[in-house]
Amino acid sequence: MNVTINQEGNKYNVILEGRVDTSNAAQFEQDLKPLMEASNAEIQIDCSDMTYTSSQGLRYFLMLQKHVMSHQGSLVLCNMQPQVKEVFDITGFSNIIKIV
Amino acid sequence: MKLSRSFSARLSTTILVITSMLFIISMLVVLYFSHKIIEEEAKKNAAAMLSTTSLNIIHTLAEAESTVKNMAWLVEERIEDTTYMYSITSAVVVINEEIVGSCVAFRPNYFKGKQYFAPYAYDSEDDSLKVKQLGNDQYNYFKMEWFTVPFLTKKPHWSNPYYDQGGGQIMMTTYSYPLLNKKNEVIAVITADISIDWLTQQLCALNINDDSKILLVGDKGQYIFGNLPGIGFQEDVIKYEQAKKNPDFVQLIKNMTSQKKGTMPMRTSHQYSFAVYGPLYNGWSTAIISPYENIFAKLNLMQFIITIVSIFSLLLLFISCHRIIKKLTRPVTEFSKAALVMAQGDFHAQLPQIKTEDEIKDLHDSFEHMQKSINHYIQELKTTTATKERFESELNIARQIQLSMVPTEFPDNERFSVHALLQPAREVGGDFYDFKEKGDNVFFVIGDVSGKGVPAALVMAITRAAFRFLSGLGLTIDKMVEKINNTLSARNKNNMFVTLFVGKINLTTGEMYYCNAGHNPIVIRHADGHAEYLHAKSNIVVGAFENFNYEHEVTQLEKGSRLILYTDGVTEAEDVTKAQYGDSRLLDFANKIDDKDSAKDTVDHLITDVKEFTGEATQNDDITILTISYKQD
Repeated sequence: MNVTINQEGNKYNVILEGRVDTSNAAQFEQDLKPLMEASNAEIQIDCSDMTYTSSQGLRYFLMLQKHVMSHQGSLVLCNMQPQVKEVFDITGFSNIIKIV
Repeated sequence: MKLSRSFSARLSTTILVITSMLFIISMLVVLYFSHKIIEEEAKKNAAAMLSTTSLNIIHTLAEAESTVKNMAWLVEERIEDTTYMYSITSAVVVINEEIVGSCVAFRPNYFKGKQYFAPYAYDSEDDSLKVKQLGNDQYNYFKMEWFTVPFLTKKPHWSNPYYDQGGGQIMMTTYSYPLLNKKNEVIAVITADISIDWLTQQLCALNINDDSKILLVGDKGQYIFGNLPGIGFQEDVIKYEQAKKNPDFVQLIKNMTSQKKGTMPMRTSHQYSFAVYGPLYNGWSTAIISPYENIFAKLNLMQFIITIVSIFSLLLLFISCHRIIKKLTRPVTEFSKAALVMAQGDFHAQLPQIKTEDEIKDLHDSFEHMQKSINHYIQELKTTTATKERFESELNIARQIQLSMVPTEFPDNERFSVHALLQPAREVGGDFYDFKEKGDNVFFVIGDVSGKGVPAALVMAITRAAFRFLSGLGLTIDKMVEKINNTLSARNKNNMFVTLFVGKINLTTGEMYYCNAGHNPIVIRHADGHAEYLHAKSNIVVGAFENFNYEHEVTQLEKGSRLILYTDGVTEAEDVTKAQYGDSRLLDFANKIDDKDSAKDTVDHLITDVKEFTGEATQNDDITILTISYKQD
């Protein structure tokens, strides 16, 4: 799992690679911290190299989504691999997080 | 004990060896220089003594000479007074202590009718002065050296030592002085006898020590006096010593006869000596030969004493070092014992008392610090272990409580049967299932809380309690899920969420309402043996957003169909290569279910299949399986 954040003003381009599972969930939370502290953030996460997420990972996506909703920001996940998209679909996260 | 012994012994031995070496070196240096100095002193001393004695002898002999010369004056003046001759010779002998005899020996027939006339005064054996007329047929002095040499040469002469048979009757040497008349003819020879005994006494005073040899040789190397064994008077010393093949001795005699003065080393087969020699008088020469061993006797004695004292001192040093070091290292031994005691688990071992402020004290302090630290850590470890044990026992209790929350009594009647399995990956988990029969309906639920452990278990308990409560209220499934969602969402700061599949089967009609809130799709195995995933609309997981509108769906179950509900612990179970069990494999399993298999059989077979797949790999997630059979009439 690797998180790269490129910030330009209030635009955050994030590249998320690898697996997000129980073993690195805490690290994932730590990596997302800059995003959790920003206001009016327009966050776009490139998920093309993300291979898996556990329910713990989903929890952080949920937290991020709730954060942007309460701080006038936006969150977009893009280029998601089918098996990951499936998890988002099954859990209903596709209904609350914008996935393109 | 062993440490102390070997340590002190080793250190003491090292000190002993070094000290001994220093002792030996200093002793050798001191002895070498002492040797040199003593040798030099001995030579100087011998030379000085020889010189003094020689001067003394020469002085005495010279005095004798001048006495005779003065006497010649008096004799010449009263040459015809024969009685006077006795008087004057007597006076000479009395006045001069060294002169033991004096004579005025006239030439033959100087006085008519007197062929021999030699008035002679001498010290007799009883020390009284006696006079006599020497010349007669038995004592023909005309043929004696003391008379003939000055008579013929008309010059004074010292005779070689001789035994004066018929004269003084002792060993003597005689100074003869020719008395000439106006025609330059010798009319008489005036003499003074010097006792060889006197010479001997003078020379014997030179005797530096018992083994010294004194030698007095004449001008031709003849032996006059000395304490050489086995050599006679007047014998040739060179011939005597050559017999003994001693080149050094020959050289000494040559040096002496050529009137040289000096010092030279003398080696014999058994002795190493030095000789001091110098000319004496009248072509005579004296030498003192001193063996070195005598000179060095005292030095050797001193060397012996020093050696003995050194050995005792070193021995004393060794013993004291050994004692002191042993005393100093005793605490180390006691530390060693304390360490052994500590090794056996007694961390309060008694440490030795150290009164000194040195390295041993440092060791003591370090040791004491270590002891305290260890005791402290052990105390901490005990506390930690106790805490851990408490946690573990509490977790076990929690596990029992959690497992007892899910029903383990499974209904199996003519209308339906249920069976389930819950295997938490840790002590407590976030998976759960439940079911409740109410009238014609049976409610069921399966859920998976995000995360694991105690937080998940707490959320699971709330969710399950909400389901239990709400299923008795006669709500529709969608409302039921909405209420569970609102219960969990309120004050959910941790964003914990639950995936739920909630359903309700009308056992009379076979109508099933269900709602999938973010959970895995369930498998339906139809009565004809065909299995598929039940289509369900994906609703958001429960607990994520408050007041979310959940939707439920309805389907018609034919009798004899079965439902297989599961959590992702089943489909995402991994083998050692991280490959997942997967949805298709689950579907394959469902397709192979036998009609005769009970709900329990299905659960057992599925868990067996999963375990076969995962093999040795450890279980990462809670595994929950719930099967419901809707039976034929």
